[in-house]
Amino acid sequence: MGQGTQLPVVNHYTAYKAKPFTRAQRKDVTILYGGLTWKHERLIQGALRNLKYNAEPLPNIQREDLDAGKEMIDVGACSPTIFTTGNLVNFLKKEAAKHGKEEVNRKYVYVTAGACGPCRFGQYHESYSMALDGLGLRDFRMLLMAQDELDQGENGGSGLEVNMSLMLGLVWAALCADLLGDLEYLIRPYEVTPGQTEKVLKQSVEYLYELFLNRPSRGEKYGALAWHLTTNYFTKALREVRKMWDTIEVDRLRVKPKVKITGEFWLQTHEGDGNYNIKRWLEQENSEVIPPAVAVWFDYLMHPLIHRMEHRHAYARHPKAMQFTLKLAERLYAATYNRLRRALASLPNELPDQAELARLAEPFFHFELRGGEGHMLIGKALYVYHHKKAHMVCELSPYSCMPNTMSIGAMANVLGKYPDLLYAPIEVKGDSDVHALSRCQMILTEAKRRAQTEFDDALRSTGLTIDKIRQYEVEHPELRKATYRVPHQGRAGSAANYVLHLASARGLGK
Amino acid sequence: MGFLTLPTWFAKKPSAARPFKDRSQIRVGIPKVLNIWTTHQFWLGFLMSLGIASENIVFSSDTSEEQGREYGKGRGTVDCCYPVKCISGHYGELIFGLKKKIHILLSPMIHSLPSILHGHVVDTLTCTRVMAGPENIKAGYMKGRDVFNENGIAHVSPFVSLGDRHMVTEQLHSQLKDIFNLDLEETSRAVRDGFTALDAFTEKARNQSRGILDWCAQERKPCILVLARPYHMDTGIGHEIEGDLQAYGYPILWLQYLPGDEDLMKWLFEEDLDSGRIKSPFDIGDVWQSSYSSNTNEIMWGAKVAARCPWITAVVRLSSYECGMDQPTYTPAQKIVEATGTLFFKFGDLDSTKPAGSVRIRVETIVHYMARYSEEIIQRKLARLSPNCPVPRATA
Ligand code: SF4
Ligand code: SF4
Repeated sequence: MGQGTQLPVVNHYTAYKAKPFTRAQRKDVTILYGGLTWKHERLIQGALRNLKYNAEPLPNIQREDLDAGKEMIDVGACSPTIFTTGNLVNFLKKEAAKHGKEEVNRKYVYVTAGACGPCRFGQYHESYSMALDGLGLRDFRMLLMAQDELDQGENGGSGLEVNMSLMLGLVWAALCADLLGDLEYLIRPYEVTPGQTEKVLKQSVEYLYELFLNRPSRGEKYGALAWHLTTNYFTKALREVRKMWDTIEVDRLRVKPKVKITGEFWLQTHEGDGNYNIKRWLEQENSEVIPPAVAVWFDYLMHPLIHRMEHRHAYARHPKAMQFTLKLAERLYAATYNRLRRALASLPNELPDQAELARLAEPFFHFELRGGEGHMLIGKALYVYHHKKAHMVCELSPYSCMPNTMSIGAMANVLGKYPDLLYAPIEVKGDSDVHALSRCQMILTEAKRRAQTEFDDALRSTGLTIDKIRQYEVEHPELRKATYRVPHQGRAGSAANYVLHLASARGLGK
Repeated sequence: MGFLTLPTWFAKKPSAARPFKDRSQIRVGIPKVLNIWTTHQFWLGFLMSLGIASENIVFSSDTSEEQGREYGKGRGTVDCCYPVKCISGHYGELIFGLKKKIHILLSPMIHSLPSILHGHVVDTLTCTRVMAGPENIKAGYMKGRDVFNENGIAHVSPFVSLGDRHMVTEQLHSQLKDIFNLDLEETSRAVRDGFTALDAFTEKARNQSRGILDWCAQERKPCILVLARPYHMDTGIGHEIEGDLQAYGYPILWLQYLPGDEDLMKWLFEEDLDSGRIKSPFDIGDVWQSSYSSNTNEIMWGAKVAARCPWITAVVRLSSYECGMDQPTYTPAQKIVEATGTLFFKFGDLDSTKPAGSVRIRVETIVHYMARYSEEIIQRKLARLSPNCPVPRATA
């Protein structure tokens, strides 16, 4: 600057900048991703391969990923950051040992969420890059996917084209995986032949994988959108899937407490060591789990009020039109979810109304407070409580999570007002499962008692007996099909609802 | 929300008082916590503009163990970082500890912050715990019985984006109109007055920091930069570590009030700008990509300034127990500062008790290193910079 002399640059730490991922490299590069359930990841793989990308999910999170993550980043991180960093580290280490670092840098790119979220969620990549430094893999390409853009590294890259077709593929894949997950958790606790649900689930996932793999191309813009919103390509396939589930026989008279899972996004979605495999554990403890749906998260982000806060710097030339578009998008989204759901006999759970969640949470937690699950943590707990959708709420909170500690604190006020709401906040460190699970166990005991009482009351009020129902089932075998839908009868437990349903719809009992 | 349960003073002054909206008797308590530390002037300006007498605006005292013990005990709802955990004590002090009772406990949920880096970073949000802290602490006072109600106090915690000035009037009007009987126009005026007061204060503080640097240059003396969150200025949270150092004659600069003067910044970042590494001295894109958290951004920027500014020969990094926002910045900040040989000392995991013994030893260490190496560090850093130094310096 005016001096003509070259001053020395301060050569200090610099942020990670990915080397470009170019279109020409696409055929030789594998896109790595992770963070959801194996069902989601497999269907996403189908959607990506459909667009001619090589794509592989990272291996499912294991306990040893925690140690690997801790080794690589500064102390005090939240457990999702540590687990996901460790997961990437362990994968890259193995690959580097097998093929060398050069090959790892050439062969893979990792796509992750970035720059979205007021807590560490938007900073995961800072930890990943620290780990890459530690591994001597600074040239490994990590691409940050923000909500509406992708940083493809220096000079743009463009190896991954973020267009409507890709986004819709990913979203539809996530929705279908959510619906399958709901079926899985709804049916497995009641399956008569152990393992059958698992088998059918795998078949269904593979069937839908093929569906996404062969998704017809309808352009990269609005043509693709119109097609996704109107086609029966997905609903037809889901009806086929439903038929697969028809084959599973269930015993609906098993009395089980229903446990709604809530909590931090990654932790609640995950199925594995990262959350002590808590959903499976709850099933082993003789309960029925309502798993969290990724779909609810999309809905949350689309909700006009939340969206307004997220995009408050973006100047909307026609705010009213923007508002209208968002509302329309939200409606279309819910309609799409319901269409897909109906194809599965409306067995999976409906999406909760975002406005209702905000309204329920309002006295306790402002809906514009972002991070973690925001107000939804409280909204969902009150939603299942008021609508009698579950006996208890199991809230998964990562150790040292910033936003979740705040919502959990606010839950104290909720519990003061609703002392009979059964709530089990579980802090997940990743390596202290005994402590966490025994905490959950205590609340679960009360939930079991409630489920039993509710069931006994249902029998008493209807005058039905188990023998009588069994007898009726012999005459009406469709009742034992997993896909027979028992509408909600205002009770939390499936068995109690079933009894009341038999009495009201089938005229059994008194 | 039932904030209207208590304002009995409105009942005594019904509509006859309306044109004047006499608020001179309303007493407002503000917990002096978290980002109130850098925005207090806004709240003072805002409330005073509404006609609230300055003597009726009460801040809680600095955090202390006694405050927590006496007023906050049993009110905590979760285990979390100390700066949030201690808020229970501040609430309690305002509710139970004042001779003259307050009517309103104003505990804003600050969503975004004014920042010197505004426009150069993705966003200027607060930590999620800062935003949501009031909801969490309030719960501790409402979980059994409604303590606010029992004490005739209205708790009000407006969600406010102070970093997005265009939103503030609407936010504060919609959330405070009932409690203060506000109309839009006077809210808008009060918001303007609030920001005027805040800007004037911040500018004054930055000028004073510039004065310190000028003095250092003149006297060829080093100073220390405290790299911390604003609430580490609270003697109960930062434990006055910088005060101990100041006692040895080293002037202290706080990150929050570093001077951003154009001449100084251009001089410090000349080569970075020339080489295209950054677009502006306030651009931290070279070191921190996820630049949406206001205080975190400033910490990264402060580290860069410290690495370059000759008279800052030591950085003291303060961090509270279980601070999740600081965690990813530990290594990068240290590496940046140390790249030019600037001394870096970290006091981490600070909580309610001052580790007096170890602080003393470390302060002595810092002083020792500063005495020994400062001159060399100053010369080395000066040698990296152009001779067109905008700070008047003593000639050697
Ligand atoms: S929400 Fe909590 S656990 Fe998740 S990334 Fe943020 S701080 Fe970590
Ligand atoms: S920045 Fe750190 S210390 Fe401050 S509120 Fe957030 S987590 Fe707590």
